[in-house]
Amino acid sequence: MSGPPTRSTERLRLEAISKRFGATIALAEAGFEVRAGEIHALLGENGAGKTTLMNVLSGLYHADAGRIWLDGRPAEIAEPRDAIRHRIGMVHQHFELIPPLTALENVIIGQEGSTLLLRRERQARGVAALAARFGFEVDLRAPVAALGLADQQKVEILKAIFRGVDILILDEPTTVLTPQEADALLRTLRTMASEGLSVVFISHKIHEVLGHCDRATVMRAGRSVGTVDASATTEQALVEMMIGERVARTAAPAEREVDDTVLLRVDDVTVAGRGGLPAVSHARFSIGRGEVVGLAGVDGNGQRELVEAIVGLRRVTGGRVELGGRNVTTTAVGDRLAQGLAYIPEDRLGDGALPSMSVAENLFLGVHRLARGGGLTYRPAAIRAGAAAPVRDYAIRGTATTPLGMLSGGNIQKVLIARALAVAGHGDTPLVVAHNPTRGLDVRTTEFVRRCLVDVSRRRGGVFLVSSDLDELMQLAHRILVLFRGAIVADLPSTAFDAYEIGRLMTGAAARA
Amino acid sequence: MSASAVVTLLLDPELWRLMLTMAAPLVLAGLGELVMERSGVLNVGVEGMMAVAAAVAFLTMLKTGTLLGAAAAAMAATLGLAVVLGYFAITLRSAQLTVGLCLFVFGTGLASLLYRLVIGVTTATPTVQTLPRLAVPGLAEVPFLGTVVFTQNALVYLALALVPVLAFLLVETSLGLRLRAAGENPRALDTVGVNVRALRYGAVAVGGLLIGLAGAYLPLAVTGAYSDGIVGGRGWIALMVVIFGRWQPGWALVGAILFAYTEALQFKLALVTKAVPPQVLLMLPYVVAIVVLVRLYQGAEPPRALGLPYERESRL
Ligand SMILES: Nc1ncnc2c1ncn2[C@@H]1O[C@H](COP(=O)(O)OP(=O)(O)OP(=O)(O)O)[C@@H](O)[C@H]1O
Ligand SMILES: [Mg+2]
Repeated sequence: MSGPPTRSTERLRLEAISKRFGATIALAEAGFEVRAGEIHALLGENGAGKTTLMNVLSGLYHADAGRIWLDGRPAEIAEPRDAIRHRIGMVHQHFELIPPLTALENVIIGQEGSTLLLRRERQARGVAALAARFGFEVDLRAPVAALGLADQQKVEILKAIFRGVDILILDEPTTVLTPQEADALLRTLRTMASEGLSVVFISHKIHEVLGHCDRATVMRAGRSVGTVDASATTEQALVEMMIGERVARTAAPAEREVDDTVLLRVDDVTVAGRGGLPAVSHARFSIGRGEVVGLAGVDGNGQRELVEAIVGLRRVTGGRVELGGRNVTTTAVGDRLAQGLAYIPEDRLGDGALPSMSVAENLFLGVHRLARGGGLTYRPAAIRAGAAAPVRDYAIRGTATTPLGMLSGGNIQKVLIARALAVAGHGDTPLVVAHNPTRGLDVRTTEFVRRCLVDVSRRRGGVFLVSSDLDELMQLAHRILVLFRGAIVADLPSTAFDAYEIGRLMTGAAARA
Repeated sequence: MSASAVVTLLLDPELWRLMLTMAAPLVLAGLGELVMERSGVLNVGVEGMMAVAAAVAFLTMLKTGTLLGAAAAAMAATLGLAVVLGYFAITLRSAQLTVGLCLFVFGTGLASLLYRLVIGVTTATPTVQTLPRLAVPGLAEVPFLGTVVFTQNALVYLALALVPVLAFLLVETSLGLRLRAAGENPRALDTVGVNVRALRYGAVAVGGLLIGLAGAYLPLAVTGAYSDGIVGGRGWIALMVVIFGRWQPGWALVGAILFAYTEALQFKLALVTKAVPPQVLLMLPYVVAIVVLVRLYQGAEPPRALGLPYERESRL
């Protein structure tokens, strides 16, 4: 081959890749082909095998069978090192970052520029330039642990690109980005693709695929079911390829019955943040029975702190929190849960899961208090039996006894959501606090979870929905609060929902009179 | 005792010098353990490794009379033990706590067996000459500090020098960055193409060498003789020193000095007061260890992957 790669030259071909984990067949002769300069989407339901296939390509997993071709030649990729040598970079779905190290250190590790001394300053310039190119504003000196998920995502992307790549794999990179950030990322990828970069882009957001990708390969249950041109397909067609059936849209939330019973009252709540500045300042709102209240805001404006203060994971430095009329400002998490508060955390692997314990045991956590009938012991058989319904209803790809960590990313989330919603079913103050609950879920499960949240409100429970997905908020919420730099700057009734206006408020523009 | 007598006692330069002398093995073993733990490998067998090193160092010294040879032999022995630990912990992915405890029991037994095999049972305990003190010209005359710091044996200077060296290595070098990463999230390191296994083996080997030197120190620099129980819990205290130091060399030094001070104080007190039974005084370092640790362990964050074997395809 000679000359610069043109759009139609094949850059990468995966051929009949198979992989099993114990009894689970993750990949059954899956494969597809990517051209030079192409943005190629990889679609499929949770557990379809997208991540596994890309892990094989990046050398992290060893395939049982199959072949990889690069630029028409067979390539041996047995180790991540081999993939890096072939200029293949991967942005992992669950970030592979080292929390106590700074963003800069995370980006340059393995490629520090000199064998002995870390030349942080010199490297920082290069990384900052790279970040600027992507329009990423990340504090490179901050430890990754102190960054929000969106910033961590950016660090992860920078890390992959910093190594120099011809093929860039992005495993659900936009789930934690705001729509603006996702757009900016996709535009940058397009520029880079026009310079010859090949991109494999995994996403559950079909509009991103239709709007920004050249072609899409759909996977189902470990197989590739086909590749289509993005310009020649529709959302419906893609969804049908993924799951083989049509998905009904979520019904709009029920007309709210007028009911003045307040489930949650947040009164003048202030939460301390880093460096002396409050992370949440004087937040004040309430959620009534049957009400879905949304919280919009650019990631990192205090959402996590506010949510954790409500749930009891973070100390409130001023004001009070009431659940069903009871002051719970200093009450332990367990007591709040017993009252019916349910929490779907944003960082599900970090805050919500025990990866080495089974699906059933994870489902049982938190509910255990409510499920104990007297004695000191739990019966394992009962725990397993209790998992049957959620595994079925949420279409969790795995069994009650599978260790949670072995599930695909989306399936882990289903387990945690199932658990949270089960808690809300028990107490007398049913309130679900959900932080980005549909992030990373496939189309079908997203609809299912949204319907579950609407059901909570129909059954006269309350929902506090914190989401970076504005469409989701506008679809489900009765009211939307906008959070900017820790302060609630607007409280909009559904008649005032307007994506553009909310977007303006999120970035600090004053509310229109 | 009057208050001023107590103050004089507590600030006695001789006491402080003894403190540094006793701190050195804790520093050496603590730094060794710290390097291992930073890479993600937990070694609770320090006590046993030090015992083997003490026996080997003493016997080699007795037979050959060369200090360097004795130290080298001891370090070679613990290097061997460390590689065994590494093989179980890194390659076979065994439970590190169990392997470490086995190493402790095995090492303690092996040390006393070696001594018995070479020396047999005798009435007169053989002794060797201990490491001479080296006064640093000029600095040794500085009041207080001169006596305390600058009239020590060579290994004390080495131990003290290693602290900033290691701190620098961890923070300012590529190798240090990778080492920290291996202990926090080995998969992240793996995905950027760094060989986690080799790095961990390297850390375990370096740790083994330092622990060996710490063990050799006891007969070569302190007692001049070997007896079973010569390590006397210092291996365990080295583990605590790492926790006390929150996995930072500088703070580990502070921890080592704190424990060594109570140890030295106990010697002194035994000389000046008859009111307290010596057994109670002997307990002192351990009481301090417990109190300090319970206070400090809260909120101390060990490397996240400490004690966890790394397996590329496992997601648990
Ligand atoms: N390391 C592993 N150990 C055991 N099972 C695994 C492992 N990795 C993947 N699997 C299994 O392989 C299947 C495919 O998982 P994969 O993560 O590739 O799905 P995915 O398409 O990326 O889904 P999602 O959209 O939820 O991220 C799942 O059933 C999962 O449980
Ligand atoms: Mg995935």
